[in-house]
Amino acid sequence: MNEHANLHEDIGEILLTEQEIDAMVRELGARISADYRGRKLTLVSVLKGSLPFMADLMRAIDIPVRIDLMEVSSYGGTATESSGLVRILKDLSASIADEDVLIVEDIIDTGLTLNYLVRYLRGKAPASLHICTLLDKPARRLVEIPVDYTGFTIPDRFVVGYGLDFGELYRNLRYVGVLKPEVYTEVGAG
Amino acid sequence: MNTPFAHASEAEMSRILDFYAVRWDYEPHTFPILWNLDGDVVESFSPDFYLPDLDLYLEMTTLRQKLVRKKNRKLRRLRELYPDLNVKLFYARDFRALMLKYGKQALTAGLSGSSGQVAAPYDGTGRLTTQIVADQVMAAEAAGIVAAATGGESPPTAADRATTRSRHSSGATAITKGNVTHA
Repeated sequence: MNEHANLHEDIGEILLTEQEIDAMVRELGARISADYRGRKLTLVSVLKGSLPFMADLMRAIDIPVRIDLMEVSSYGGTATESSGLVRILKDLSASIADEDVLIVEDIIDTGLTLNYLVRYLRGKAPASLHICTLLDKPARRLVEIPVDYTGFTIPDRFVVGYGLDFGELYRNLRYVGVLKPEVYTEVGAG
Repeated sequence: MNTPFAHASEAEMSRILDFYAVRWDYEPHTFPILWNLDGDVVESFSPDFYLPDLDLYLEMTTLRQKLVRKKNRKLRRLRELYPDLNVKLFYARDFRALMLKYGKQALTAGLSGSSGQVAAPYDGTGRLTTQIVADQVMAAEAAGIVAAATGGESPPTAADRATTRSRHSSGATAITKGNVTHA
């Protein structure tokens, strides 16, 4: 963790303002509400990055929904390096069998985590399984996964805020910003 | 059995793929991309990884810029000859971004570029095999003895070609709003 981090000063450029995010979340919520009206929808959020998006999106949806949370280990995490395999750190709290499931992601870049999640959740026999992401960074894609709802397709920049972190910081920014290169260069050098 | 990776970045990529339970093979296929007038293969391309579940070839290009240009040329030729092949080129900047994402940015200096070579293939002269092949091809082209891939006289035969695969593209440079599809 970078103890010298400055929340706003470390941001070189605001990519998406709070207002732009809010408008997009409302639009996605309206679209999802229309598509799933009359069905049993469960939103599955992937911790931790998608937490703000999930909180806003579920309130922008005007049909009954269940929510559930999952957390999977990330490559490079100290807790999992010994095993060398992705792990479910927090599993679903209820069955999704025969439910319509919408995975809520903050960002899709390589697609590796999502690919793993989709395979895992398909094994739980949902009635349907679709994907909603606030941000899509296709330049980084390794695994092509069809995404059903995309908020913004963004350029290949290192972004933080609105749930996205660098070293577990900056998640609480209300906007999505590009981190100044010297911030992660300094941390990397340290 | 340990895979003899040519570059540390390839070894790191294999660990990432293993972590996310993505099956991979290391350099399982070689694609001829250039023939001489006798029909002999004088240049070929072996992408670093093949991910069978995704039907995707992955080529790591974390070498010096001069070699990157040569590899780009080879990739262009590969795509001309095998248009349905699904190949993703992974540049040094992509690798750095991946390491940054996983909090391993401190490793990038040692894992990319020529310093990342862990078992570079040599011919005994001290030159990298990739450099040797590239030099040979450039010399052959200069001498006019190599049939170019497009308009050349020795196109690949059906036996030369691998199974055709769907090609994909990626790369956005501007923010765009929204998508679109849903069941």
